[in-house]
Amino acid sequence: MATTHAPADPTNAGLPAPPEARDGHAPWALVARREVVVKLTDRAFVLGTVVTLVVIAGFMGWQAWSAGQATTYTVAATAADRPMVERVSAEAGDLDDTVAVEIGDVPDAAAARAAVSDGEADAWLHRADDGWVLTTDREEQGSLTAVVRQVVRQAALEQQASGLGTTVEQLEAGGAVTTTLLSGDAERAGLAAGVAFAFAFLFYIATLTFGITLANSVVEEKQSRIVEIIATSIPVRQLLVGKIVGNSMLAVTQMVLFAGVGLLGLSLTPYSALVPAVSGPVVWFLVFFVAGFAALWAVAGALASRTEEIQSTSTPLTMLVLAVFFGSLFLDGTAKLVASYIPPFSAVLMPTRLLEGTAQWWEAVLALGLLLAAAGAVVTVAERLYRRSLLQTSGKLSVRQAWSAPE
Amino acid sequence: MLEISGLTRRFGDVTAVDGVSFDVRDGALTGFVGGNGAGKTTTMRMVMGVLGRHAGEVRWQGRPITATDQRRFGYMPEERGLYPKQRVLDQLVYLGQLKGMSATAARRGAQAHLERFGLADRTTARLEELSLGNQQRVQVVAALLHDPVALVLDEPFSGLDPTAVDSMADLLREHAASGVPVLFSSHQLDLVERLCDRLVILARGRVVASGDAEELRSGGPVRYRLTLEHDAGWVRDVPGLHVVDVDGRHALVEVLDPGAEQAVLRAASARGAVLEFTPVRPALSDIYREVAA
Repeated sequence: MATTHAPADPTNAGLPAPPEARDGHAPWALVARREVVVKLTDRAFVLGTVVTLVVIAGFMGWQAWSAGQATTYTVAATAADRPMVERVSAEAGDLDDTVAVEIGDVPDAAAARAAVSDGEADAWLHRADDGWVLTTDREEQGSLTAVVRQVVRQAALEQQASGLGTTVEQLEAGGAVTTTLLSGDAERAGLAAGVAFAFAFLFYIATLTFGITLANSVVEEKQSRIVEIIATSIPVRQLLVGKIVGNSMLAVTQMVLFAGVGLLGLSLTPYSALVPAVSGPVVWFLVFFVAGFAALWAVAGALASRTEEIQSTSTPLTMLVLAVFFGSLFLDGTAKLVASYIPPFSAVLMPTRLLEGTAQWWEAVLALGLLLAAAGAVVTVAERLYRRSLLQTSGKLSVRQAWSAPE
Repeated sequence: MLEISGLTRRFGDVTAVDGVSFDVRDGALTGFVGGNGAGKTTTMRMVMGVLGRHAGEVRWQGRPITATDQRRFGYMPEERGLYPKQRVLDQLVYLGQLKGMSATAARRGAQAHLERFGLADRTTARLEELSLGNQQRVQVVAALLHDPVALVLDEPFSGLDPTAVDSMADLLREHAASGVPVLFSSHQLDLVERLCDRLVILARGRVVASGDAEELRSGGPVRYRLTLEHDAGWVRDVPGLHVVDVDGRHALVEVLDPGAEQAVLRAASARGAVLEFTPVRPALSDIYREVAA
């Protein structure tokens, strides 16, 4: 076979290769690109993403569909009580659009009890000595009870008002209480609490999922023992940075997809008015998420030499993520204010404060700066640990061992 | 030329490599021989810069070696692996790019080398789908892809079948012939003997012998094989000789005093016909056993 090897030119053998010789790409960009390409061609990764999207879309779709659906209750009534049930049936839709009432005619009380206990009727409405009774089988029907209560009360009021020669409106005049908030509005405050929980939970799930993925990716070179070849090709820091960038890009793309489908779904539900208020903080959350989680997990990967050891080297990080989760749920007042600047707590708390409207934009920028600085410091540490545990292709190292290991 | 001088590396209290010095000359195949734990891998890792050195120096073309120089070397580590789930050609192109090649050049180089190793039809297979021997060939391609200016290969022949050993040997010779210094370690002494121009023998972290393969051999014991018409037992009485073996009419003698072999020959002729009188070149394994003992 003819030789395909071009002889090396000994005259330029000592010249350093210029950095732009890499096809115009920095080494870390090559590493990041490989991470992305490999993941995108990995069937398990693509399938997992699609399944999650389908689940989110399905959940949102179900929410949207069920929000427009009313539950129909059959209420049994004897001939004497029928007018009241008719009135309930007529007014139910106006009082609560998820409740519809059908009338189930029964000859007497015994038949009504039988109908309820057989499940033919959901409830039996009948007059008692000093009012009305709604009998159900095993559990109270909350929405139905509320509707019935209002209708019966209104009927009683009307009857007594006309007995006194006046109207219900006149009786109630001047007795109404409405509420206003000096700052913010009620809907937003309620929303903030809900979305804050969603942020905390999403951060928890996402850091664990993507964090383990990143740690596995960092360990990959050591596990497959290609690390020596790469370490003689590019500086180890470039490898580590490339891995973090590539995996973070994938994580953010996934999160954006999930969040996008979630927001789109939200806009189809009766809560669609909330979408603009939630969208801004969601973007902040994504930004903080990237800066917050990625660097931390590189350390876990740097310390292990095989995938099996990720579990044990990442335990302290799992604890930290848990602390962030609970911290963001339970911290309040000054503690919350302070923690919203401290990495990694700031990753959840600052977007939450932005959502509540209690933080200015410059506060967010400051917290982000601190978070980025912390991430940079962690990458530096991880690089040192990684470089020193490089040839340790068996067994895991403690942080202390890796730090003090000779190069 | 790659010059290694006084390289030392300790792991805890153990000195794995202790003042190792030798040269790897341009255009020559230098074999690096030694038992397990002799320090070959540690030395090669220090040469490639993946392991720090505690003392000593590595010089390339007359000046201290830099990371940029090392990147242009072809390196095949002892603990080798590639990405098991990535396609063969894709990862070779990636590794070539990390070494500073353009994607096109890396692709061309990888395809040419794969073809040479008979893997032209496996370029789109995932690495893990290949047999271990073929994975090893891909490893070799990864080390040679970027037209390296020097080769440092740790056990390049282990795990190769005879055909691949021949291709590998040809490749090494070609690279050396193009003026590139080649250093490779091996346990297979017969292979080293067949291939190498120069030899470095390591034992317990020290160089115990190094130099031209011929020189090393001539520095070894001088032996003659003697086949006579009659019984050869009498050679035991000839002064200045060490009798290694006598078996009926055959004898293997080692010359202690120069000229003693001529005395033996004369005595033998006087006693009858001499059927064979041959100098025996010591095999590399004999030299190795002697210096490494």
